[in-house]
Amino acid sequence: MDIAFYIASVLGALGVYLMMPAAGPKPKKVGALLALAAGGGLLLFLLRYAEADDRPSLYFYIFALIAVASAVRVITHPRPVYSALFFVMVVLAASGLFLVLEAEFMAFAMIIIYAGAILVTYLFVIMLATLPQAEGQAEQAPEYDRVAREPLSAVLVGFALLAVLCHVVFDNRNELQPNPAAAAQSKLQFAVESIPGRIVPVLVKAEALDASAAARGAGLAMTFTEPNVIEAKWGERSETITLTDELKAQLQTKVANIDRVGWALFDGHALGIELAGVILLLSMVGAIVIGRKRVFVDDGEPLEPDLKMMHHDEPLSDVSVGEQV
Amino acid sequence: MPDALSNIALNHYLLAGALLFVIGLIGFVARRNLIVMFLCTEMMFQGIVVTMVAFSRYHMNFDGQVFVIFVLTIAAAEAALALGLVVLLFRRKHTLDAEAWSTMKG
Repeated sequence: MDIAFYIASVLGALGVYLMMPAAGPKPKKVGALLALAAGGGLLLFLLRYAEADDRPSLYFYIFALIAVASAVRVITHPRPVYSALFFVMVVLAASGLFLVLEAEFMAFAMIIIYAGAILVTYLFVIMLATLPQAEGQAEQAPEYDRVAREPLSAVLVGFALLAVLCHVVFDNRNELQPNPAAAAQSKLQFAVESIPGRIVPVLVKAEALDASAAARGAGLAMTFTEPNVIEAKWGERSETITLTDELKAQLQTKVANIDRVGWALFDGHALGIELAGVILLLSMVGAIVIGRKRVFVDDGEPLEPDLKMMHHDEPLSDVSVGEQV
Repeated sequence: MPDALSNIALNHYLLAGALLFVIGLIGFVARRNLIVMFLCTEMMFQGIVVTMVAFSRYHMNFDGQVFVIFVLTIAAAEAALALGLVVLLFRRKHTLDAEAWSTMKG
């Protein structure tokens, strides 16, 4: 394990600790510099760890840097609205990482669902749950946003966990092996065996397959018998196709990331989809039930006039906990 | 065909995922605002998701990406319920401070 990694971890821990919101004056700029130095140290560690040929593309470094820097800002910014906006940056950068990994569907699903839906919900709640500022009072975040709770132990625990995780990952690099069975199914094999309907027009156009096969739809099955030979069966007929390199390249372009994800999802996890639907329905019902509950303030004091809006402008004295509207 | 990731490239993504997870963990423990705490759990999800997509690429097994879809489902359900609870708690005590509810720890 490279010593640069441990130095970067310590610097990062110190930097994040100094950047955490705190009561007294704290050198936040110094903390930011230390965190930046830690990022540089990690980069140096990665560059020394990997030979030039093994490195991921340059975009990995850019997106990872944006993601981690925004993540630090999420937890150190005293204003929740800015935290939420920096979290949008984290999501966008993670989507960039997925694009580098050629997981296009995940990248766009992430942006649409996280940045588009979940974060908007968060922003709504942040705006709903903000106390109104008194007139003429200087704008100031509430105390629970300005002072962190036990930042030192939190940072120590976090970076100790990081050091252990990375020690395991980076020191046992030869023990992890790709799953041979999964890696063996190439893009071409997937195209031929799982989505034959998509590639039949290509084969027919290249006159490698009889045109009557195209009409069979689901009744058509194709399997590899040899590396370059496909056996196609439909009805009573069967045909053997020998693939040329040109044909292979054409067939491969017919497979997208969404094809493989969709196949894995609906072929292997149909029950999971049903359960996910039930969970979403339950959470929707639960959220509505929670949102409808009437509450009264525990100290019995009358509410501020503008806070009464949240209680539907009704007197609160005779409303008990849990009573429905 | 795009090649599967090498061990060394995989480790780069694992480091990025671990960093996101750990920063989310620190935020969850250290911040006192309930909304920011939940935001930090979402960030831990992000770290997990980066790890899962990288492993999916490494093994060329798309079940990893399918699990990301399920994580998204759970995150959406959790956000709906948790934020509903946060609004409810805010209405009771007019504060988002998690410490205000420390009597619940029993």
